Amino acid sequence: MTSSHRTEIEHHEVSALIPWYVNETIGERDRQRVDAHVDSCVPCRDDLAVQRRLCEAINSQPALDYMPVASLKRLHARLDAMQAGAASSAPPAGQPMNSPTPWRGWMAASIAAMAVAVALLAADRWVQFESRSAQANFHTVTNSIPRPPGEVIRAVFSPAITLVELQTMLDEAQLRIVSGPTEAGVYSLASNATLPVSASLALLRRHSTVRFAEGTLPEPESGNSR
Amino acid sequence: MILPAKNSPKERDSALLAAIAAGDRRALEELYLSYHRRLARFLSRFTPRYENIEEIINDTFMVVWQNAKEFRNASQVSTWIIGIAYRTALKSFRRQKNHAVASLEDYPEQTVDPTVDAEVNDWLKHGLNRLPIEQRLTLELAYHMGHSLEEIATITDCPVGTVKARMFHAREKLRQYLPTLGGGASDLPARIG
Repeated sequence: MTSSHRTEIEHHEVSALIPWYVNETIGERDRQRVDAHVDSCVPCRDDLAVQRRLCEAINSQPALDYMPVASLKRLHARLDAMQAGAASSAPPAGQPMNSPTPWRGWMAASIAAMAVAVALLAADRWVQFESRSAQANFHTVTNSIPRPPGEVIRAVFSPAITLVELQTMLDEAQLRIVSGPTEAGVYSLASNATLPVSASLALLRRHSTVRFAEGTLPEPESGNSR
Repeated sequence: MILPAKNSPKERDSALLAAIAAGDRRALEELYLSYHRRLARFLSRFTPRYENIEEIINDTFMVVWQNAKEFRNASQVSTWIIGIAYRTALKSFRRQKNHAVASLEDYPEQTVDPTVDAEVNDWLKHGLNRLPIEQRLTLELAYHMGHSLEEIATITDCPVGTVKARMFHAREKLRQYLPTLGGGASDLPARIG
């Protein structure tokens, strides 16, 4: 191998290392190798300068910060669903899925299960009959969740809203978060000052990142929603 | 799961992953919150829609939850998680029609003249968007996330030589798309600085 071949190979190898020299993750031996080569190789020296500026430019681009809490709740919901599905498809403890079972055993189990079901149904009917205040089997964001102390507004924000945007918006409307987000992404907001709730609501509703905003106090304007 | 503050990030991640392997949902929550910002910032460089970003992050942590028991400390926990996110993102970006790389054909076949574009960010974004997704991800893993050559090889599950080749082609293409990068190094500082 001639000297010029060796130089060419060294040039290519060092050139390939330049990005990691720039991000400072290169090992000490390779770092010294790049230093030595760059001293005598103008193209690599230029490339190093260009890569440094490219790296700086990439890192100087604006970055958004997102709120992870609502996303985390959705992950929990997926895990719950997955675990519920796994539990319902698992065989009873101590019994393999495909083991032969005498038909008498199945019949006895069926009769017992039916008896339990009938008993539960009867008990449920009795409880319903006895109940004086019928509860709805659904809930809304405004009337079924116990109201946290001080809550005057419930709101849902776009999942893409940033912490800075949310804080700015709440400061402007003179509100603060007292609870939330719920599984549905609902925040409970309390008033920070003497600004009327209707004014805070109007300020919130001006923002496109507010998907829902509703007063929770019995005021005339609380019937409007975004 | 609350860990003592004196733990290093690596020890903390390992302890959390061990707890996750034992079925601890609080540990998963802690790990999720400590990685969300880093992953979201990285992914937001490829897709502007938070729905996509959240889907990739949550898919990643579903895999973390399901496979925590399989982790054998062959790499750092952070490299393992980012590797899962990398593969999940790659699949997602290939699936979506409207992501930046898939729409390369929409760009006219011409190089960008930084002297015409007012904003450095615009021409940089334009140049990066023209790279094939594997090359762009490699470049971003090195320059945005600050990963070493060996870490990127682990994250992308590729030989070191492949990572070097992807980076080489990315740099060459950026030279073509952004003429100032390929010319005198002296042109760029005035634009970026």
